[in-house]
Formats: sequence, structure tokens, C-alpha cells
Amino acid sequence: MATVTYDNATRLYPGTNKPAVDKLNIQIEDGEFLVLVGPSGCGKSTSLRMLAGLEDVNSGRILIGDRDVTDVPPKDRDIAMVFQNYALYPHMSVADNMGFALKIAGVPKEERLARVREAAKLLDLEQYLDRKPKALSGGQRQRVAMGRAIVRNPQVFLMDEPLSNLDAKLRVQTRTQIASLTRRLGVTTVYVTHDQTEAMTMGDRVAVLKDGLLQQIDTPRKLYDRPANVFVAGFIGSPAMNLLELPEADGGVKFGGTIYPVAREVLAEAHGSTVTLGVRPEDLETVAAGEGLQVEADVVEELGADAYVYGHTTLDGKEHTIVARVDGRRPPMKGDTIWVRPQQGHVHLFDTKTGERLGD
Amino acid sequence: MSVLNKTTAPEGHVERKAEATKSDKAVAGVSHVVLILWSVIVVLPLLWTFMSSFKSSSDIFASPFGLPTVWHFDNYSRAWQTAHIGEYFGNSVLVVGVSLVLVMLLGAMSAYVLARFKFWGNRFLYIMMLAGNTFPIFLAMVPLFKILQNIGILGTYQAMIATYTSFALAFTVFFLHSFFRNLPGEIAEAAAIDGAGEWRTFFQIMLPMARPGLASVAIFNFLGLWNQFLIPVTINASGPKVLSQGLFSYAQQMGYAVDFGALFAAVTVTVLPVLVVYIIFQRQLQGSVSQGTSR
Repeated sequence: MATVTYDNATRLYPGTNKPAVDKLNIQIEDGEFLVLVGPSGCGKSTSLRMLAGLEDVNSGRILIGDRDVTDVPPKDRDIAMVFQNYALYPHMSVADNMGFALKIAGVPKEERLARVREAAKLLDLEQYLDRKPKALSGGQRQRVAMGRAIVRNPQVFLMDEPLSNLDAKLRVQTRTQIASLTRRLGVTTVYVTHDQTEAMTMGDRVAVLKDGLLQQIDTPRKLYDRPANVFVAGFIGSPAMNLLELPEADGGVKFGGTIYPVAREVLAEAHGSTVTLGVRPEDLETVAAGEGLQVEADVVEELGADAYVYGHTTLDGKEHTIVARVDGRRPPMKGDTIWVRPQQGHVHLFDTKTGERLGD
Repeated sequence: MSVLNKTTAPEGHVERKAEATKSDKAVAGVSHVVLILWSVIVVLPLLWTFMSSFKSSSDIFASPFGLPTVWHFDNYSRAWQTAHIGEYFGNSVLVVGVSLVLVMLLGAMSAYVLARFKFWGNRFLYIMMLAGNTFPIFLAMVPLFKILQNIGILGTYQAMIATYTSFALAFTVFFLHSFFRNLPGEIAEAAAIDGAGEWRTFFQIMLPMARPGLASVAIFNFLGLWNQFLIPVTINASGPKVLSQGLFSYAQQMGYAVDFGALFAAVTVTVLPVLVVYIIFQRQLQGSVSQGTSR
């Protein structure tokens, strides 16, 4: 198959000053499943469309394998794409939809049918081959769109939020199917989503984008455990990480009534006298009154095994919201006051000014 | 007092409700009567013409509203042959048929390009097309005559076909423009990735998707061109006559010795294709009109 390389790829929409994708550098390995994730307008879809050839590259290059495809039209890139709304040809049967690319490529009819049937078998679509897309359910249409990509046996699969039109249950089901299918086929895949759960569960690596800039690209585990900056920290994980701006104190940062110890070298990296401390809800532990941070519980979500406390706290006259995971068997009541403290070794420190991670 | 108020209030409410349905009924009743009257006004003359086309002239005058005493089917053969209606029918089919194919092809292609491609002057061209719809055909007749004369094709099939095609083009582009505009762009992109070039995307993907729109415009154009009278009478006076024009000259030629039976037969032959198209494509026509307005 092939690797994919974004080499300083930039896309500037006509009539705008700020690039939609700004000097993107990504090296995708052969057979890798890479997820592009970010909030809407972050440039993830544009990046994908640049790779597809549906969007011009204003500067930089895009390579598939060793071949520079920056100025190659989509049809000559040897890629297949699954669109958000599937983009099936409504007047063609499922079989014709799947075989259209092969027909254009001049593949003989028998081979074409055989390949279509093979893909249909893989996707459990055999009994629908003669139907028109409008006679299929959402999930089936999604599979036809996948089938259309698979049949071509391309070098790269491109998927643009292919699950966003499915209901929640089907989405979870299809998520695993797509992940296992692409791995079985061993085809390099670039997958765009705004859903961080999809990103974390499907990707070999995940690239987080914001405002056209790549924030971090890493394995889901690393992304979760070592977010490179405040944005990634807040974006990955649900419920989101608590981010608090705290003053430096002797030997650490002041966390309510306690001092969270931080190495001197780490604090020395920071600009200014405050740092941003990030701690995930599950890394907060409840402690006796007076130690740590005082939190008023506004909402308590009981999920059975755990409970999440959504509360607020006041630090230096500013109100912050805090989410903490607590024992599901003994959750506090709404309106209760609890005291929390980060577990040792489970905090993330960021420079308040630049948002970059401090220490490692 | 308060008790009284309490009881009257809901009653009044109910009464008002009853009134509303009554007036609804009244509106529905009146509009139905009007529509029925209108249909009668339209349908009766058609039926009368059709019936009279089987009568002899004397029969028509003797009992204008009676059934034919003898069924004169020979009216039709007389109209078809001696009045050359057959020949005119053929001319009409040729001219309208070729024009229709041309206008649909060219119209769909221009509408597609105007609706889906960005280029300098796009807006201007579209506005010109809109203006073409509003331009009164009467003003164009004399210049058109001169142009065709200068080119040297006045009174030929080509002249008629070219005129009909350009006459119907503006409306066709205007109508199909919104159709192509509303087709999902994702599908064109999918086709591009599947390896289809612009031409294949247009003919194999986008055109089939616009089929409902194409069908409606084709029907509209057929009706409009088939019934066209002003254009042939003006620019085709010397050329092979189309049906509407031939019928007119046939009625004129007869002077005072009118063969009404044959004339009505000729009228029936002229109207029949239009009627058939209307009946077959009723739904399409209604649908397209509502689609055109809602978009």
C-alpha cells in the first residue's frame, strides 16, 4: 500500500487571510489508521479534502508513497473516499454504485462483478445488490459507501465523518467494524471526526487540530496521558479535564488549602508566577474537610459504578467549575460541599501564557 | 352573573369554531363551483369540436349540438390529404422534435455550468438568461426575420429549429439552473474520486439525477413549441408550414365555402398530441410547478 505525507501543506481559501490549514506536517505510515480530530472549523475536513484532491494546496506538498500528488487530479491519486452523507448515486443500484469506479477504469465486466460481490460479502450486502440506495436503511447506505471504497482496492481510504448520520447504537457498532475492516485490509486510512471517542477508539494515532494548526499527533494513550498543550488536554477526555490557573508557591503550586509539590526545574520553565494545572475528573480524590479544594456540588451524575460531581469553586475571587469522579456507592448530594485533591503524579502542568506543557 | 359568564364563554368559543368550519365549507363550495364552471367552459368547446369533426357541414348547421347523423370519418382523410394537415403534422413533429432535443441538451449543459462552476461572468450570463425570459417575443420578430434572411436560411427547417431552440433556451436554463444547484455537490465529488471526468459526471451522474426537472421542462417546451403560432407565421411564411400555421392558412383559404367537418378534423389532429401529453404527464406538470415555486 502506501504512506501519506503532508509536507508543510497549506490551504488558504480565496478572500481570507488566515489559512484553513496552516503548514501541516504529518507522516502517516503504511497501513496506519490515522484520525484527524478537532472542533468544527479546525481544518480537519479541509486537510482530508486536500489529500483527496478536492481542495487546492496553496503551498507545501502532499505525497502518497513517494509520489508527489499535490497537483494530481483526484481520479489519478488512487484513493477512495467515504463521504459524510455517503454520496451514493441515487439512480444506480448498489452493485452499480460499487462498481462505477471499476467500470470507468475499464475493468472487464466479469472481474468487476466478482469484486463487487466479494466486497458485498464482506459487508453483508449481498442481498441488496439490486436495490437502489433509497430503498436502504442508513446503516446499509453507509456500508455501500464503504463497499464502493473497498472495491477499488485503493492505496488510501479517506473517510469524512462517515458515522455522523447513524444513530448512537449503530455508530458504536459500525465504529468497531470499520476499524477492524481497514486493519484486516491493511490499507492506510485517514479518518476525520469531531467525536473524540471515535478518535480514541479507532485511531492508531490521532492528530488533534485547532484553527488550522496541528496541536499534537500521537497514540490515543499518549494523547490522554501526556497532552502537549491546554487545548489537547481540554479536548481529549470526557468529561473534560479540569484546568485551573494556580499561583506558584514554595516547592509547588497552591491547590486550595494544600500545596501540590512540583519540581523546581519544571516551575522554572513557566512564564509568570502562575501555572495552569490540569487534572482529570478521575484523578481527583476526596479528602477530609479543610485539605485541598472546597467544591460545592451543583449536579451529581450517577452512572452506577461511578458518579460525577459537577461543582464550582472560588479561587482568588474567580469562580471555576470542577468535575470530579467519586465513588458511585457514596455520592454526595446536590448542594453538598466536598473537598478534593489531585492524586500524586496525575496532574498536567501547562504554561499559563503559552498553553504549552511543562515538564513531561 | 358570574355563572352566566362562565357558561356563555365556552359556548361562544364553540360557536366561533362552528362558524369557521361553515365559512371553510363556503369557500370550498364556491371555489368548486367556479372550478367546475371553468372546466365546463374549457371542456365543452373541445368536445363540441371533436364531435363536429365527424359531421358534414350541413349536419353541423342543422343540429349544432346533436350527435352526428352519419359518422363522416372521411373528414379526417380529407383534412389529412387535401388540406395537407398530414404534411404539416410531419413538419411540426420534425421541427418541434429536433428543437426539443437540442434545447434540452444545450439548456441542461448551460444550466449545469452556470449552476455549478465558478467563473468570471457567470452571474452576468445567468442574468442575461433571466432577461431572455422577460424579453417580449414581438420585439424580436423583425430583427430575427432580417437575420435569418441575411444568413439565407429564411423559410427552411433549420431556421425554424434554430429559432425554436433559442426561444425555449432561456426558460430551460432558468428552470434547470435551480435543479442543478440543489443537487448535492458531494455526489459530483464522489464521481471525481471514482475517476469520472467532467463529461461523464454530467451525463452519467448529474443528468440522471435531474431527470424529474428535465421531464417537466421537456413537457413545457413541447407544449409551448407545438402551440407556437407567432414565430412560424412571421418567419416561416415562405417555408414548410407547421401545424398551427397550416391550420390557419387552411381556414383562410376556404373563404366562404368552408368545409367545417374537415376543419374541425384538422383542429382535432392539432390539439390531440397536446392533450395526450397533458393527460399522460399531468402529475409531472403539477409537481414541477410546485417544485419550481418552493425552491
